[in-house]
Amino acid sequence: MSNVSDNSPVDVLIIGAGASGAAVAWSLAETRMRIVCFEQGDWTHSGEYPTTGKDWERQQFGPYNIDPNVRGLDTDYPINNDESPITVVNFNGVGGGTILYAAHFPRLHPSDFQVKTLDGVADDWPIDYEQLEPYFSQNDRMMGVSGLAGDPTYPPKQPPLPPIPLGLVGETMARGYNELGWHWWPSDSAIITRPYEGRDQCLNLGPCMSGCSQGAKSSTDITYWPEAIRNGVELRTRHRVREITLNDQGLANGVIYYDADGNECFQQAEVVVMACNGVGTPRILLNSTSSQFPDGLANSSGLVGKNLMFHPMGFVQGIFAERLDSHKGPAGCCILSKEFYETDLSRGFVRGYNMQITRGSGPLATAMQGFASGAIPWGPGHHEAFEKHFDHVTSIGVMCEDLPEPHNTVTLDPHLVDSNGIPAAKINYQLSENSRKMLAHGLDRAEEVMAAAGAVEINNGGLIKVGGWHLLGTARMGNDAKTSVVNSWGRSHDVKNLFVVDGSVFVTAGGVNPTSTIQALALYIADTMKKNLSNLFD
Amino acid sequence: MSDKVIATDHPLTAAQQQTLAALVDTILPGSADGRLPSARQLDFIGHLNDKEPAFVPLLIQIVDDFDDEFSMLSLTDRYPLVEDFSRSQPQWFKDLLLRLYDCYYTDEGVKQSIGVGQGAPFPRGNTVEAGDLTLLDPVVAKPRTYRK
Repeated sequence: MSNVSDNSPVDVLIIGAGASGAAVAWSLAETRMRIVCFEQGDWTHSGEYPTTGKDWERQQFGPYNIDPNVRGLDTDYPINNDESPITVVNFNGVGGGTILYAAHFPRLHPSDFQVKTLDGVADDWPIDYEQLEPYFSQNDRMMGVSGLAGDPTYPPKQPPLPPIPLGLVGETMARGYNELGWHWWPSDSAIITRPYEGRDQCLNLGPCMSGCSQGAKSSTDITYWPEAIRNGVELRTRHRVREITLNDQGLANGVIYYDADGNECFQQAEVVVMACNGVGTPRILLNSTSSQFPDGLANSSGLVGKNLMFHPMGFVQGIFAERLDSHKGPAGCCILSKEFYETDLSRGFVRGYNMQITRGSGPLATAMQGFASGAIPWGPGHHEAFEKHFDHVTSIGVMCEDLPEPHNTVTLDPHLVDSNGIPAAKINYQLSENSRKMLAHGLDRAEEVMAAAGAVEINNGGLIKVGGWHLLGTARMGNDAKTSVVNSWGRSHDVKNLFVVDGSVFVTAGGVNPTSTIQALALYIADTMKKNLSNLFD
Repeated sequence: MSDKVIATDHPLTAAQQQTLAALVDTILPGSADGRLPSARQLDFIGHLNDKEPAFVPLLIQIVDDFDDEFSMLSLTDRYPLVEDFSRSQPQWFKDLLLRLYDCYYTDEGVKQSIGVGQGAPFPRGNTVEAGDLTLLDPVVAKPRTYRK
């Protein structure tokens, strides 16, 4: 969708229409500046999501696959994961990763912003939880977040909507946690449990990770974008940015991009905002070389693309004798535990993890996963094994905090290119010893919970390979231009009219899903830009 | 009529159809209690023609990997032959399995038998109970655990 298709100069050009791009566009709209967002993908339509058809599960193996290399759309860019035990998953289109995310919506904890001070590792953020709190709350209201107040692992907060249902899965696992005396809480979820802002409530369809046909999952194409567009922001799809250009003063003056027909074009802009996630942003910056920045734009620190953090995730599956109806309800969101979130060095590692209860799969995924694991054979034993698993299974995802390490990188692949010939991203990533110990600890604890909850069979699935949802740290924020890429409000130290608002700016990863914090940061950065409009480039 | 002549728009010869029926019956036979049908009772070719016609040529190649006698054998005797095929052509077998399972588990009769609602999930939806939030009482009774 595009209100204006000419290439006349704009005040603000936002690159990327996902979680952060939508939030920053909405916030800046009130300035009445001319704001345009370029998105390389398309709009998606809820009427075309898989759950509108009988073959909804099959679609998850193809066009709605979370892995861009499997999806292979020309709006995707390929990613070379050969040197990483975890592969990148994403979605390229209006809404970005929120189209296919599970919608887990926890905030980072206060301690996550003070890792160096509290635990002596990595670095502190230049901002803290208290500064972000108003933006967390604003974002919860804008997105529509369901949850329950009173979680003792957080400062007081009030989700705007009641929590998603526990169901048999949640109740069963909650009893297991209670048996052990461990923390659990209904997951904060960007899924509306009541009609909200013109959207209807969750129908418990199940597979949130292939798009929500009901529109109850809060993806930014149906939350921020409609309002931002009504307020004058132009959103142009099928506009793929190749590089950001500079003027003689060393300021960004626009971008070179490809339109839907593959034509190379130029868009002039006074301010450029990067919102392309922790892989897409360094990819464009590294591809924007000049005599001033031969190693990539805004990269005098040499840190663009470095310190890539995922959240290494493993899982433990439990099979229960009683039926749990586990294919019903939001697949990724139920309850979670922060029992092992804060640092306790007696565990043998620093920092911590959360445990997320996920519901079960549909019949096709159950059968195929069972084939892959050997648990459900084809042939005469199929039906008996299938019946034992289907709707009788739940899993615990162990999501570990990853610490920043400079050798974990996003670079430009020397050979692989996207459909416009732009170099693909190459991931070099190693799981650290700390992360390995943390994951092993978490998987052991998850097995204990499954046993306490009454599982009759427990399977430790280990590290999830296709699980690089959370792309963080590759253009980190900080007060020192030598050790960070952007300042405390997302502005490049090197290029004063270039901002980064996505997960790239994370200093440390925390141990929870990052979308809530990414969007709170985007709103905070936009607000700071508005407060400094008269001297934005000083 | 020769089984080498395609007299209809069916992409498989009569002999190939018999082999395919035996093959899918080996992979997904009916359940012992009769509650779940054999995959041979479903229209797998119709399903593929509707959803993924591009797979049919590969399916024919797979079928042709089994000789004409295959369909005459008992399930017990067919099983090791299919097992051999799954080992010698693992990717082909996985591709076949995905499509056959998709056909099977989107069949309304099968779905009813395994307790899945009819038709597409949307707009039907599912009922999930809110659950007993008093289970949180021991958690709430604990002191705060976040660090500042």
